[in-house]
Amino acid sequence: MDISLTLIAQQLVAGVSLGSIYVLVGVGLSLIFGLLTIVNFAHGALFMVGAYVGTYVFLKTGNFWLCLVAVPLATGFIGLVAERLLIRPLYGRGPDYPLLLTFGLAYVLMDVVRMLFGVQGERFDTPEALQGAVDIGVGMFPLYRLVLIAFTAALMLALWLFIEKTRFGLIIRAGARDAQVLRVLGIDVSRVWLAIFGLGSALAGLAGLLAAPMRGVSPEMGIPVLVEAFVITVVGGMGSLGGAIAAGLLLGIVVSMTTLFQPEMAELSMFALMALTLIVKPQGLFGRKGLLS
Amino acid sequence: MNGAAILSTQGLSKTFGGFVANRNVSVDFPRGKLTAIIGPNGAGKSTFFNMISGGLKPSSGEILFEGNSVVGVMQHHFAKIGISKSFQITNLFRDLTVLENVRVAVQAIHCRFDLWSPRNRHHEWVDKAEELLRLVGLQARLRDRADRLAHGEQRSLEIAVALASDPKLLLLDEPTAGMSPEETRTIMDLIVKLLEHRTIGLVEHKMKLVMGVSDNIIVLHHGELLAQGTPDEIRSNDEVRRVYLGKARH
Amino acid sequence: MSGQRSAFFRTGADWAARHRAAATTLVLALFPLIFPFHTLAINILLFGLFAAGYNLTFGYTGKLSFGHAAFFGGGAYGCGILIANYDVHWALAIAGGILLGGLIALVIGLLATRTRGIYFAMITLALAQCVYFVFFHAASLTGGDNGLRGVNVVRVELGPLQINLLNPLAKYYFMLGLVGVAVWALARILRSPFGAVLEAVRENEGRARACGVNIEATRLLSLVISGMVCALAGALNAINLSTVAIDSLSYQTSGLAMMLTLLGGMGTFFGPFVGSAVFLGIEHIVTGYTERWQLIVGIVFIVLVLFFPKGIWGTILQRYAK
Repeated sequence: MDISLTLIAQQLVAGVSLGSIYVLVGVGLSLIFGLLTIVNFAHGALFMVGAYVGTYVFLKTGNFWLCLVAVPLATGFIGLVAERLLIRPLYGRGPDYPLLLTFGLAYVLMDVVRMLFGVQGERFDTPEALQGAVDIGVGMFPLYRLVLIAFTAALMLALWLFIEKTRFGLIIRAGARDAQVLRVLGIDVSRVWLAIFGLGSALAGLAGLLAAPMRGVSPEMGIPVLVEAFVITVVGGMGSLGGAIAAGLLLGIVVSMTTLFQPEMAELSMFALMALTLIVKPQGLFGRKGLLS
Repeated sequence: MNGAAILSTQGLSKTFGGFVANRNVSVDFPRGKLTAIIGPNGAGKSTFFNMISGGLKPSSGEILFEGNSVVGVMQHHFAKIGISKSFQITNLFRDLTVLENVRVAVQAIHCRFDLWSPRNRHHEWVDKAEELLRLVGLQARLRDRADRLAHGEQRSLEIAVALASDPKLLLLDEPTAGMSPEETRTIMDLIVKLLEHRTIGLVEHKMKLVMGVSDNIIVLHHGELLAQGTPDEIRSNDEVRRVYLGKARH
Repeated sequence: MSGQRSAFFRTGADWAARHRAAATTLVLALFPLIFPFHTLAINILLFGLFAAGYNLTFGYTGKLSFGHAAFFGGGAYGCGILIANYDVHWALAIAGGILLGGLIALVIGLLATRTRGIYFAMITLALAQCVYFVFFHAASLTGGDNGLRGVNVVRVELGPLQINLLNPLAKYYFMLGLVGVAVWALARILRSPFGAVLEAVRENEGRARACGVNIEATRLLSLVISGMVCALAGALNAINLSTVAIDSLSYQTSGLAMMLTLLGGMGTFFGPFVGSAVFLGIEHIVTGYTERWQLIVGIVFIVLVLFFPKGIWGTILQRYAK
């Protein structure tokens, strides 16, 4: 097979754009896990809801930029309500219960979407302003995906600044180490957790919106995403933001490169990466050993 | 280093992130004697205890048990080797009965994976458990659930569970914590009795107790070894007096 | 209630508590005599076994797994492929299915049990999806998306006895024979020293480790046993339906096991069968009226977790204990 460097370079960039979606999904889950020690099984469903909300808003307004604001607000709001009403009563009962509950919540969200939008999926056309391709030196590359990469990078930078430089970010960092610390400082832990769950949900929905032009929308689109988010969290290390970013990009590139050489193995490569991580470094690339105990 | 020591540590250290919990601790536990570890709060006593019982991996240093290194040995092997520790904060099988708490600990030493025989047919484990519970004075509470016991009784159960593996070295982490004076006296009598058949390591805060029963005392301060010796030697050690005994007597 | 009647009840209940396998098998044997829908009864039986296998991991060992479909489906495909593609005798095929399920559990266990807590749920889900993927793509062997057909066992010969599997009632009792064996084995294991270790590990893992229990090995063994029980359920289901759908490996199937166990009462012996009967019964009724079955499942899940974590049988047992 004649594989030119150009082709490899193109796949790398494709991998980074795929990785950007993974990063958004993984960071949301990792944040929620890192602070609340909850594995949010509704994460994939929120991704899907974000895509559908985006479809609806775009249909009504034709304004993609409005979608970028409306979607995270919508899914973030769902996250807030879910945390407040459904998950909060479970704190103290052990780590399994929120997991089970969010699993049930995912089922509910999927069927509600089916009731509102039907069981068939649909396309989501790339907004006009972002259509077309651009020459990136190694060939033509879809503009949308380049914008996606840039947008994700900017968002991650903003998130990093938020966590490192603001007071709330400090609370997040302290709380990730030990929730007791927050209580001792007199901070209302439940509010912090509410905010985090909302933030993680918002990111998931945003990821769904951004992925829609590339994947289309369907009520089941969140299912593989959940697995992908888990793989990223395992590979990157639970609760590690840097880990989620690194693992997301790594995963995107691995899947993309595998598609080039052996398309059928693309999905399997994701699991292989996870299995490798579990064998060699079970706490993940950036994970702390203590998180496994 | 001592041929008569059942356990020796050499340069044992433990760091958590930036915090040094133990630094360069080299001590001996003489065979058949009662060694007490004392020191102010935060001196690193529990960390040290955790390391020599396999619960924590040392950052550096050596631990020799009967001449063999036990650093890096998996925690669940320690009970089989002959080292057993009771916990500072009561750590029992809460939903199981008092009898079952000890029985399962006895069983864990004697069999690996028996999936088939009815467990209660192994009378020897039940008998051993009952014997240990008689020793700690809980014979009347066999069928009660562990979390229904009073605090003092739970502390006694802690010791019984630690004894289940018939350890050569029994480590007791503040066994009398939260107990009344009579309960404390009972436990101390028990400890002296247990000394007849094994070596005992004891972490305690109550100075009078410790001075009265110990053969050997280790004083830790800020994670380091301050002094090691007999109660008389420790009592007359100026540094120790300054740091620890100089404070209010317990 | 008169003194005599309550004494009778109590003796009966005590006997049942001490002979859990026999009592469970007895109830299951009497079940089709009062429940006229025999095809549904078989489903209740087999999915009850599936849930019982899951219960070993979730209820008795205390680990939440999202990957048990891999064992169920593995058993189904293992048995189904041997019968449909290689014309193997049903007994050997079932054994083959159990072995395959156990093997899958071993591999997943080796990767997943080295980690603790929540990690386990995530990893089992991802690994089970991996198994789904492998079976999906091995289409020449498994039929891929279309599923495996031709798992035809019409007649079963046990010595002089000939059982016609086209008769639902006969099929039920044939399968009950095997389910009964599995239930008995489970009861035996739970009552063994290993069963005591499982309880201790579930209660206080740290203390169990300090007492000399090899936690990882214990969990692994428990998962393999659980996998084999679920695989038996899958193998029997393959024979029951004469087909294996790729869905049997999906995470919805794992979710089903969770649901049945939670509904019935996790950590109880009879609970999984209660959960199976109630759930499948309601599904049968409700799907006649609406397609929005997932919505109902989701809501039931949420309600269970929030208000009835002990499940139906678990709550009944709790009342009785008082």
